[in-house]
Amino acid sequence: MSSQGNHNNQCNHNKQHGTYKVSSCKRKKIKEILGVDLNNKPEAQAIDLDKITSPNREQRAHGTNIYYGKASELLKDAVNQEVTMDERKFQQSGGCVLNFYLAVRVSTIRDAVVIFNAPVGCSSSALGYRELFRGVPEALGRPAQYKLNWMTTNLQQDDVVYGAGEKLRETIIEAQKRYEPKAIFILTSCTTGIIGEDIEGVVDDIQPEIDATIVPVHCEGVRSRLVQTGYDAFWHAVLKYLVKEPEKKQKDLVNVASMLSYTWQDRLEIERLLGKLGLRVNFIPEFATVEQFEKLSEAAVTAPICPTYTDYLSRGLEEKFGVPYFLYPSPTGFENTDGWLREIGKYTGKEKEVEELIKEERAKWEPKLNSIKQEFLNISNARKNGERLQVLGALGQGRLVSQMPYFDELGLDTPAAMAQDFDELIIDELADIIERNGDFNIMVNTFQAAEQANVTSSLKPDLTLTCPFQGGSWKRDTQVTRIHSLRGDPAPESAQSGYSGAVAFGEFLLRAFQNKSYQKTLSEKTQPAYQDWWYEQDDPLYFLDKQSDENKGVSK
Amino acid sequence: MTKAKQIAIYGKGGIGKSTTTSNLSAALSDLGYSVMQVGCDPKNDSTTTLRKGKTIPTVLDTIRNKTGKLDNIVYEGYNGIHCVEAGGPEPGVGCAGRGIIAAIELLDSNGIIDDYDPDIIIYDVLGDVVCGGFAMPIRKGVAQQVYTVTSSDYMAIYAANNLFKGILKYSNKGGALLGGVIGNSIKNSTQEAMITDFTQQTDSEVISFVPRSPTVTRCELDGVTTIEGAPDSAQADVYRELAERVIKNENKLKPRPFYGDDLSEWASVWINKLLLNEKVERDNIQADGSGI
Repeated sequence: MSSQGNHNNQCNHNKQHGTYKVSSCKRKKIKEILGVDLNNKPEAQAIDLDKITSPNREQRAHGTNIYYGKASELLKDAVNQEVTMDERKFQQSGGCVLNFYLAVRVSTIRDAVVIFNAPVGCSSSALGYRELFRGVPEALGRPAQYKLNWMTTNLQQDDVVYGAGEKLRETIIEAQKRYEPKAIFILTSCTTGIIGEDIEGVVDDIQPEIDATIVPVHCEGVRSRLVQTGYDAFWHAVLKYLVKEPEKKQKDLVNVASMLSYTWQDRLEIERLLGKLGLRVNFIPEFATVEQFEKLSEAAVTAPICPTYTDYLSRGLEEKFGVPYFLYPSPTGFENTDGWLREIGKYTGKEKEVEELIKEERAKWEPKLNSIKQEFLNISNARKNGERLQVLGALGQGRLVSQMPYFDELGLDTPAAMAQDFDELIIDELADIIERNGDFNIMVNTFQAAEQANVTSSLKPDLTLTCPFQGGSWKRDTQVTRIHSLRGDPAPESAQSGYSGAVAFGEFLLRAFQNKSYQKTLSEKTQPAYQDWWYEQDDPLYFLDKQSDENKGVSK
Repeated sequence: MTKAKQIAIYGKGGIGKSTTTSNLSAALSDLGYSVMQVGCDPKNDSTTTLRKGKTIPTVLDTIRNKTGKLDNIVYEGYNGIHCVEAGGPEPGVGCAGRGIIAAIELLDSNGIIDDYDPDIIIYDVLGDVVCGGFAMPIRKGVAQQVYTVTSSDYMAIYAANNLFKGILKYSNKGGALLGGVIGNSIKNSTQEAMITDFTQQTDSEVISFVPRSPTVTRCELDGVTTIEGAPDSAQADVYRELAERVIKNENKLKPRPFYGDDLSEWASVWINKLLLNEKVERDNIQADGSGI
């Protein structure tokens, strides 16, 4: 773990602000070990706000959601821009650019209306906002009133045939009249994308008559198989239409955009830590006011919780408004939290205070983390002759790079990891992890539960982390499974971020070994989800379309 | 975003759009301009005469086949013209309109146009503006000027009139405006007069008349443009003249199309004139009936 400290030694002196770059000596080392020259990695595309929307992640960064193999191979492919989006002959599920949580998150924005320019069914998942957030007590900061200002153009046959521009126009007028919002978000759908609706035409035309700022988001489901595309499209629209030129720079304001799968407690922990430094957090998008979006340009820095999710916004804010950013590390685990705070300290002139804070926090929390580590060690000593416990994580690519060092802090091994998607934007971070933790297997899929079941069954990790959409929890005889939480989870034990989160999450993982009744009940009451032949399959990508794989890189 | 002059050429199917477009591209490139021609038709045959009769892989097929590399979608044609075919579905399936949207977005968002940085980009678009997809090239941020190719055939003029409706639809939203009408396959002065009258009735303007010529057909059969195959012919001069005019033309017209039955009423007068004219030519009599 000592290598993590490299962030601050002379080895890292040429680290630039903006994207995280591994130091030149580390680059050299990676080239020696892996034969990958990070100097040749593709540059991230500039953000062009003249365009109506962002490119999809496939185009922007050769994103994929199908891969299984060595992380070092994936890294090599990424540097050579050879990662491809291959086909599966069988798929269980997938994400929707509109609905894989973009819809529900936009719905929570205060003093705004969201218009689904879609058949009514496409908007149904927005109703989930209540289930997601009602568990958060008002005392913890959830607004008492969080009604959804939700409208849909309810597109039907006639609208598809004749075009629906007029309908959208009327809906915008109605939204203004009914709610007097500060912003009107338009979420587009497959339907409007296929018939080629001229959304910008309608918006340009009607905006002069409407007080609210109209923000069209191009999240047509058919655009992309990667849900990150929806977030890039959302940030593009926010940057293009909503963020204002700064009236004044706020030296103490820190933008933090995070994905939904960080809990409410993580918000509180981040506010607590930054509050101790005399800094304020501008949390977006959940429950943010329209004004918070407008003022994104005034912040001192944009800090990540998830680099892949925050990427487009961070780059855009820097390119258009000169707000500096960093994408790595995220505040997961002690070392990463130290690094995250130090980065923020640099941009806010709080370097000294940060060092004091780190010292103070570590004094308080480190003994707790150490005792968790010891307990894991005790378990492994008892069970496996000292062999470290193995954990298999199913995460977004952002969490992949932030969480693996944390598992190492806990004394856990990570033989493999799963990510929902992967793209060139995290090349440096992945290289860094491989260099620090050694090579590991990586599986990339968006909610292919069978693939996860196969990998889990063949690797037999002691602990598997998963999420409900990835197949949830299932019968396992010898190992344990935990499901990670979402933003709406306010329980202190569900926290993951910062120092208190690292301890809470460690305890959460530990409890899985101490109380196995959940696993026991599952084993007793449920049948295996798949037949034996599937679990015995050597290749979790059994359903990969080999034909499409053979075509890789071959031009006709 | 590219500073290139971007134009879109529309017209009824089979009217000679691709022939005119390819000759225009060839003539422009002979004048020293760097040209990119983008075929927006699932038939994938816009640029064949710029490439010795050979078709090229399309943007959409390239993506679909996972051959991956977007570098493989721009092909060099006659005199270094950058040839691109959007492509699209087989006849009878899928959605060709969505294909145009996807292909243009791909070209735009991957910086391909910026990489080649042409002086002029010409979109050669299938037929009529039948749906939102085929209107993509005339939307804000793509082409600035639209040309329509038409003959004196009623259905061709009908298609041109429909295009005017499409242009008008986007005209207040920053979309492309009309550059002018190119009269094609012209055999006699009555046909010219009819097209000229159509443009006067609709507040538009003829840019050039291109006479019907066996030279064009012969060159097409050889897989080349007239500019390449018969550079010294009178027809090649016509295309060169057209190229000069397109370069100079700053027209951004808002046409006033016919609605309802007005077009057919207008046309019926002209069709009688054309028929009479044909009869006169065929029977070798004078229009005023004086005979030989």
